[in-house]
Formats: sequence, structure tokens, C-alpha cells
Amino acid sequence: MAVPVGRMGLMAGVAGEVSGGLVSSNHSGIDCPDFMPIHAIYTQSQDDAEARNWLAFLRRRGHPALYDLKIERVFWLEGEVRVEKLLPLFINPVHQSAHSKSMFDPASGPILEIAYRPAVTDPETPSILAGARALGERGLAFARLSRRFQFVGIGQAEAQQIAERFLFNKVVERLRDPNEAVHSLIPSGTPDPVATISLKELSKGELLQLSRRLSWYAPLSQLKVIQAHEVERGRPYTDAEVEILVQTWSDHCYHTTWKSLGLLKKLSLATERINHPLVVSSFKDNAGGMKFYEDWVITIKGETHNFPSSIAPFGGVATKHGGVIRDTLGFGKGAYPIGGTTIMGTMDPSTEDSALPSGTLHPELIVSESIRATAYYVNPMGIPMMHALYRRHPGYAKCLALGHSIGLIPAKFAMKDAVRKGDLCVLAGGETGRDGIHGATASSAGMSGETVAKESAAVQIGHPVTERRFATAIPVLRDTGCIRSITDLGAGGISCGAGEMGAETGVVLDLDRVPLKDQTLTAWEILLSESQERMLLAVPPEKLAEVKAILDRYEVGHAVIGEFTDSNRLQASWRGQKVVDLEMTFLWEACPLDPIPVREPLRRAASLEINPPQTPDEWTRAIHGVIGHYHCCDQSPAGARFDTTVQARTAVSAYGGRTHQMPTNLYVSAPLRGRNYGMISTVAFNPLYGAIDPVGMARLMVIEAVTKAVAAGADYREMVLCDNFYTPRARPEVAWNLSRMVEAIADLSVELGIPFISGKDSSSGTYEADGQSIDVPYTLVISAMGRIPDVRRIVTKEFKAAENQVFLVGSVDAEALGGTVYADSCGMAGGPLFFPGESPSIRRRWDALLTMRAGGAYVSASAIAEGGTFLRLFEASFGSGLGVEIDFSAVAKSGEGQSSGKDGTRFDGILFGELTGSVLIEVPRGVPVGSYLHAVPHVQIGEVTANAALTIKNGNQRLWHGPVSDLVEVWSKPFKEMMG
Amino acid sequence: MSSATTAVLYAPGTNCHEETASAIELAGGKAEVVLLHDLLDGTRRLKDFQAAVIPGGFSYGDHLGAGRVFATLLVARLGERLQEFLTAGKPLLGICNGFQVLSEAGVLPCRSLGRPAMALLENESARFEDRKVRLIVTPLESLWTRGLSGQILEMPSAHGEGRVFSQGADCPGGFRAALRYADAAGNPALSFPENPNGSKDAIAGITDETGLVLGLMPHPERASFPANDSQDGLKIFKNLVDWLEE
Repeated sequence: MAVPVGRMGLMAGVAGEVSGGLVSSNHSGIDCPDFMPIHAIYTQSQDDAEARNWLAFLRRRGHPALYDLKIERVFWLEGEVRVEKLLPLFINPVHQSAHSKSMFDPASGPILEIAYRPAVTDPETPSILAGARALGERGLAFARLSRRFQFVGIGQAEAQQIAERFLFNKVVERLRDPNEAVHSLIPSGTPDPVATISLKELSKGELLQLSRRLSWYAPLSQLKVIQAHEVERGRPYTDAEVEILVQTWSDHCYHTTWKSLGLLKKLSLATERINHPLVVSSFKDNAGGMKFYEDWVITIKGETHNFPSSIAPFGGVATKHGGVIRDTLGFGKGAYPIGGTTIMGTMDPSTEDSALPSGTLHPELIVSESIRATAYYVNPMGIPMMHALYRRHPGYAKCLALGHSIGLIPAKFAMKDAVRKGDLCVLAGGETGRDGIHGATASSAGMSGETVAKESAAVQIGHPVTERRFATAIPVLRDTGCIRSITDLGAGGISCGAGEMGAETGVVLDLDRVPLKDQTLTAWEILLSESQERMLLAVPPEKLAEVKAILDRYEVGHAVIGEFTDSNRLQASWRGQKVVDLEMTFLWEACPLDPIPVREPLRRAASLEINPPQTPDEWTRAIHGVIGHYHCCDQSPAGARFDTTVQARTAVSAYGGRTHQMPTNLYVSAPLRGRNYGMISTVAFNPLYGAIDPVGMARLMVIEAVTKAVAAGADYREMVLCDNFYTPRARPEVAWNLSRMVEAIADLSVELGIPFISGKDSSSGTYEADGQSIDVPYTLVISAMGRIPDVRRIVTKEFKAAENQVFLVGSVDAEALGGTVYADSCGMAGGPLFFPGESPSIRRRWDALLTMRAGGAYVSASAIAEGGTFLRLFEASFGSGLGVEIDFSAVAKSGEGQSSGKDGTRFDGILFGELTGSVLIEVPRGVPVGSYLHAVPHVQIGEVTANAALTIKNGNQRLWHGPVSDLVEVWSKPFKEMMG
Repeated sequence: MSSATTAVLYAPGTNCHEETASAIELAGGKAEVVLLHDLLDGTRRLKDFQAAVIPGGFSYGDHLGAGRVFATLLVARLGERLQEFLTAGKPLLGICNGFQVLSEAGVLPCRSLGRPAMALLENESARFEDRKVRLIVTPLESLWTRGLSGQILEMPSAHGEGRVFSQGADCPGGFRAALRYADAAGNPALSFPENPNGSKDAIAGITDETGLVLGLMPHPERASFPANDSQDGLKIFKNLVDWLEE
């Protein structure tokens, strides 16, 4: 039976007629006869885990009085529809129910309804419309979905505070006024007209003031060039033109700091010098490419999203993934993503509220929201998570939010073609909205309490299903020859993507053709919007029909928004007006680079004074301090929220061992179906080192990442590197350190013969609040990617059999505890960092290990890093159910450990020292270890035991003993507690 | 190799179609990824295929509920054809999101299209859980688990909504559990993490009265290839291929 529909003139919230057990309300505006009827359907689940989860989350995060929380969804429908016909779309009657009015009793507690803004399209709208059409209800003109929350136990103000902080994004959503009259659901609104901006008459001070007010954050030198150009070209700018110039020249897009210091060149020159036969593409494209096997190329890219993730972690981290995945899709003529990472550096999540710099979000919130966001975005993308790393440092007031993406592409498509005059500029993917405006300029600015409040609109909103659609379609377009060139739209939006793609030719854009999800966008906003999930393609005109057909079949939105020209100009029109007309040469070549003074910083020679543990209790304290440290503890409660096996390529995931909970520090997959060729990925990131010795840290990160892969059996000669720098705002001392870091890794890459093929830099790691400025620790994340002939030859960390011997291969320096987790857990900072040796000795060690592995002479292995040898011994025991007995007397005799302390050798230094470049291996008895390792330092430190315990001895003296299970408890606590 | 082709259905948001088709081919069968879009506009027909798999993913972004939009389109637009397909005795498998689709569409547990009798609710932890799980195969007859009764199969599981919820199935045979989460000894696992979602009776997969339809939350295709650390999942696809050949 149909629900009678008509213009009843009822206002929202008033129930209408009953039909088939369902009450349908009708809220069309009585004074507006043109509007269609509007229905609201309220649905509830009798078993709502989401509500339970929010309740637990909010109670943990400062709202203990919240006693209960309920969620109701409201389907708002506009048009002539039989509501009961749509029910299969809205509920599964097994556990959900639908009602014509809210089931919440207002007396139980405050109710808030979160809806999308009237000018914005809901992400669910297309799904509802498609479902309604399928159900034969063609009269449905528009639909929206809002969520109602009822909070029991707290007042309206607290509920409102919760909603604003956690439940909605005010850029696109709002709290709906319960008394609001609903006339139409269809997005509407009027954009601002195009404004003219003249800088001609402005003084220096006025220029800077304007730059700040309009969120350009441009340096004076750039403003003056733009000012002078206005005179030259003889007419004022449109708002769109200035916006394009300042964002193209922002540090985020133009890398002004790195260019001014000549750093981009340094790494690419080193790579040219190495002239590695496997390098296909380096530092040119959206990612770097390396030859894989059988005419395939694998790609790598790392991208940070620090500013948005600091001010709105959920949105910032979700779109960090979306963006770096699009870099893969935009490599060559479109690579397919086969792996990713999430790497977060924040302040200590256990920091007291009162100790936080004003204006910053609590680090525990940033971490937990980032975990939720990574799961929200990457799981639907169907891309295996390779590494999820969480690190802390008090300097991360502006956090580090890094993601990598690895891709796979046929070699013949690894290079883009040059665009030609007449090629069409096709926008594919989602609609353009208000999200992410000024993302590029705001990211380049210093972060302060002020920018946090002002620039939250710079955070984009991510919808993975949209990106997932074109991730499937792009390889189809590529393989059918439809793509001349492709790039993702990220910072700077359409203007940047089209401007870059047409830099050598020229491009003319018709902004009226850009599909909008927000009808109030004006021209410059359409050009600069950083709405996610959009790609720009250059398509040969004869291929256009095929492109459209493919995109239609894969249900990807698309529009031809312009054409490439030979004008050498970036041009755009909107509503009959010419809104942009800029010379490409001016846009791309006129940006002035302010010279950055460089000054060597004064070295602070802080040294460490740690008393070595003497009693078993002191040893227990030291051991618990290390394995329970945030950097060493079990992070699998976070990692288990990310899909590690989708695509069915995974051979070794980040967690392994008996219970799939032991960190492997590796990811290995078999990218080609029917082949066992492997891609291996490792990462190294250590903010504790960076804070002490940036240059030493930079070298250590390269060696750590590569050694992790070599220990597993991967050849360093078939490996490439990706660098991601995050450093404080450039001051003379910062510039000095940064330059030395880049030089150090460029030289090291040449010495080791391992090229960098991709990298990214962010030079805005400074937070300003209350006249205080907080610098991030010098941060360099190194990601190594290699190829291996057979994934089944990879050796992992867990012990394999009792009575096997455990060797430490590589140098030991028991005194170099600077930057170690051990020192940090004792509350100490200071130097020196461990020195891993010169390049030739490191290569010798790698060569010996590879020969040994090829001979099958070791059966488990792990590279030493944070937490030192002890953490590895614990992990290898935990992962196997076995144990280990360590005897220091051999180390002391070998002369590797340096003399100190009462017993002559610093045993704590041997156990907890982070001997980067050294490797722990497990060798069956009878293997002639000396014949493999004669040229490199090595020492037997112990033996695997059947008993699942760790024992530390010095000859006959037992220093410490404990069951693995006791340690597991300490090790697994921090993340378990944080995640509730 | 049999000429019988298995359709692996793709809708926007599906993300396990390629590996699922590859796993069927590795098992010796023939598989083709078929776009729901093409079935809806009539360029492809379900009846041209001898079996079908709805693979994992987040079809339509899980909008309105996991599998809901896909199921709505399937029932409302292709209901008759799907009924013909089932009546013709053709096998149908739903993995993860595909299981959610079959449950929302009413195909499981009772082959009652458009009348859902079960739901896959959010995991007890209210989180996406990525785990390797052990499954014990029940003695119920299903072509998909033929000859595997009592065996423990290891394979990855990765989902946010996999908790089986039903107030009983009103059909001959009732609610038929084909696979249960198990501990190392093969006993049904009622608690986390062996049971990753809190499913009642440790149910990981169910079949219908004919044994032709199977829905399961874990991913057999991810335990099929030599590089994967288990190849137990391949047994399920081999059973399909053997059945099609017979």
C-alpha cells in the first residue's frame, strides 16, 4: 500500500500518516508549492556496536559522566516516493527498525543531529538514489542521511563539545537545528563573484597584511615579484590568479627551502652518479620506479600530511593515505598500488593535559584518531598495510604523519608522454567541494594556535570508495592506450594539476564543466580546492569516447574540463568571465628563492651517565623500561586494524611468528601472479636519534633500513631508497644541519651503491604558541624497497630450534648509548650515537651475510635497531615459543664490548645498545661460521633453549632470568591500554 | 580444464575480485570478472556462467550497511535471474563482503531472495580485525567443503562486520554452519582473538540447504598462492572446479 503523499504543510518533526506499519512524515514547506514532499525515516539497530564503541571511546577521553549513547540514522527523502518500498535499502529487519519519528525520548538526554551542510552533497546520496531507482522508486529526487546522537548522563553543552570535537567536520557538516523548516534537500547556494585584486599601490606592510588575511602566507619577495608583474602586464589580477601564484610558489608545492639550499639536486646527482641499472624513474614523476622482473616496474613514494593531521587527525590522516595512493596511480601512465605504510610521530600519548603546548590536540587523540582514519581509508582501498609505526618525541607539537605507497606497472607504461595541443583535459573521480582550500599555503606556514583555528578548512575529507573506483579503472584506461599523461590532484587542486601538466604547452579550462558537490564555490575555489579523490588525465581526442565508456562502466565520475593548447598560458573561464590568464613561464620560473643563510650550530656535548644495573631487580627495571617503551612495545593492537593480506600477494607481513603478533620489521610480497619473485620493504624512523645528532641519525636510518632487508636475505645491490624529511622552519642552524643531512645520505648512497629514487621534504616543523616555539626533532624516514628472486627464501626473526647458536654479526660499542630507547627509558638524553662503521666495512658485513644466507647457514635473523639486542632476543623467543640463554663472557673475551663498570664490560650497553648495522643470526650447530664470517666482526652470544625464558649470564654468574610470558605482559600493555 | 566459467562479480568498492579470479584459475578453473554494471545494463548475463562468486571489498563504500546496496540492486534488478541461477543448481560463493551481500539479499541462510533472515553485525570489538584464523570444517554437506570435514583450514580474516546474528532460519535444514573458528586443537573458538568477531557458536561460514551456496567471512583466496603462508583456501576453489568438471 502506498503512502499517500501530498503537500501537507507539516514542519519537520511532525508525524504524518501510517502505512504498512511505517509512519511516514511529510514536511514540505506550505508556502513553497514548487517543492516536492519531504519524508524523514528514522532507523535504529537493536545491537549497535558503533554506539558502544563511541561510548567507550568518549568515556576514556574525558567524558566519564557519559552513561549511555545511542545512535539513530535519519534518511531524508525528497520526491514522490512510496517510502515502504525503500525499506530494504534502509534496514535489515533482522536487527534494524524504521520509524516515522525519532525513537529517542528527549527526557533521557541531549540529542544532536549531524547533517551535511545544505550546499554539500552527502557521500551516501548517490547510493540511496541508485538503490531507490533499482527498487522502482523513480520519484525520489534527492536524499540525505543524517545521524542523531543521544547522550545520557551529560548536559547539552558537553554533548555539543563532544560533537564538535569528534563527531563531525564543520567544513562540510553541521548540527541541524531540530526546529529548522526543511523546504528542499537539494544542494543550493550562490557563489561569490570574482574579485579583482591590485597589489600595485600596496606598501610592504600592506602586502604582508593582505597575505596573512587571505591565508596566502607568502614571503615578501614573492609578493613583490607578483606586484611588479602586475605593472608589467598592465592589468590587476583576479583573485584566482593571485591564489594560483602564491600556492604554486608555496614551500609545500615548490619546495622553496630545499631549492634555495640546492638540496633537491644533491640527491638526484648522487643517483645519477650511481647509474644503477634497475632505476627506471627517479625524482621526476609522482613516484620513483625500479625495474622488477619480466618487464614490470615497482614504484615507491612517501608523503607527509603533518599540518592537517595535527589540527584534524581523522581527516588529515585519511587523506594522507588517499594522496600518496594517488601518487602511485599518477605514476607513469598509472601504476596499481600494492602496499602502503602509516608512520606517525607525535608527542608522548601519556602526556598530562596541563603539560601540552596550548592549542595542540592531545597526542593520544592524534594517535587513536590516526589509527581509525588509516583503517577507514586504506582497508576499503584494498591495499595491504606493510608497516604501521608509532613513535614519540616532545618536539612533535606539530606531528609527523607519513604514508608510503608502493605500486606495480608494466615497464612500457612507466613513462608519461608529452601532452600535445588538442589533447583533452579530463577530470575523473569525485566532485569538487570546499574542503582543502588553502591546504598548500597553510601547510607551508608556521603552525600556531591561530592557524589551527583559522585553517581547519584546509583539511580535506576523504571518501575511499571514490578513489577505489578509479584505482580499478585506471589500469584499464592505461592498457587500452587512453592515457597520454595522468596526475593526481592534491595540493593546489585543478590549478596545480593542469598547470603542471600543461607547463610546456598551455591549457584552457572551462570551470563551468567541473562537477561540484558544493554549489557556493566561486572560480578561485574551484581551481584551488583540494577535494580528494580526483585525477587529471590528458587524453588524445580520438580516445575520448573510449575513455568515457570505460569510466562509465566502472562508475567513475568524469568531465572534460579543458584542452591543452600551444599558448604557453594557463587560462580559465567561469560563467562567461575570463578568470585566469597567466603565462606558464611566469608561473613556473619567476618564483624568487630567498637566500637562506647557513650557520654551523654550536655542539652541545651532553654525554650520558647511566649506571649499569647490578642486581636482578635493577636488571628487571631496565628490561621492562625497554620492552615497555612506546617505540619497542607491541603495536599490533593498532596494526591489526589494517588489512595486511588483501590482494593475496603477501608472503611476510609486519606481524609473524607463532601467534602472528611478533613484529617482523619486514613486508614481503609476490606482486606477479604465478611467480614467486618478491618485493621487500623495510622502514627506519628514529626521532630520538634526530634530536641528538641529525647527521649521524641520517646515516643510521639508511643503514638500518637496508640491514633489515639484508638480514632477511635480500641483496642490497637490488634495492632503492625513498627519503622523507621533516625539519624545523629554516633558520641558519637548521639550514646547516639539513644540508649536512642531505649531503651525508647522498654520499652514503654513492658509497653503498644504493640509489634514492623518490623523496619528499617538509621544512615547516615548527609550532608556535604563547611566544614559545617548538621544533620537531630532525626527522628522516628511510624506506628501502628491493626485489628478491623467490619470496620463499626469506628468513624471519623467530627462533627455529633449541640448541641452535645465536651470533651477533657486526661491531659492538657498549658505550654509545646516545638516543637509545634504554637511555630514554632512564629519562636521559645525550650522545654519542652508535657509529656503525664506514661504508666498506658495512658492505663487507652485508656480503658475508648474503653468502651465508645463500648457503642456508642461518635459519633466523634480525637487524638490531631500537631496543637493541635484547628486544630482538625477546621477540625471537616470543615468536617461536622458545627461549634463549645469553652468556656475556664470550663478548667480553672477543674484546668487542668496551671496558667500563665494575665487571670490566658494560653488559647493559651490549644488551640495549642500538647496534645499527649489526645482525642477530641463529645458526644450527656444526655450521662453519668462521669460514663465512672471517672478514667481519662476529661473536657467539648464546644459545636457543626449549624453555621459553630469557637467561643472561656472565660465565657461571647468572645476572638475570625470567619467563618470556612475564615480559609479554609488559610489552603488550601500552597500546592495549591506549586503545581501550 | 573445464570450459565452465565462474563469474566473479564486481561492484564499485569491490577489491578482492582479481585475486579471487586468479585463485580459481590456479585451482584449474576458468574465471571472469563480471561488472555488476554490465549485468544491470544487460550486456552480460548471469546465465552464461556456471558458477558465481561475490568477492570481498567494501561495495558501494558500505553505504547504508555492509553489502546493503549491492544486495538491493541484486534482488531488485536481477532477482529473477539470480533465482533462475540458483534453481538451475549453480554454485554461489560469497566471501567477506560477498557473504554480507548474500545475507542482506536473503540468499543465505534460506534462499529467500529479498527476505533477509540473518545479519552480519559489527565485530564485538567494534573494530576492523586483521587476523589469521583457523577454521574447522563441519560435517554438513556442501560442494565447497566436500571431503574437508574435520579438517582445520588456516586463512586470513579481515573485516569489521562479521558477527553472525540470526533468530533462527525458517527453512528446511535451518541455519547450517559450514565453518567454525577454531583453536589449535580444532575446538570451536568462542573468544577473541581466535574468534575475531564474537560470532555466536564460532560461526565463520554457513551454507544453504542444498550445499550449493556458501558464505564465509575469512578469505580462502588469500591462502591459495605459493607465496602465501597457507594454501588451505585453494581446497575450496578446487572443490568448485572438481564439481564443475563432473
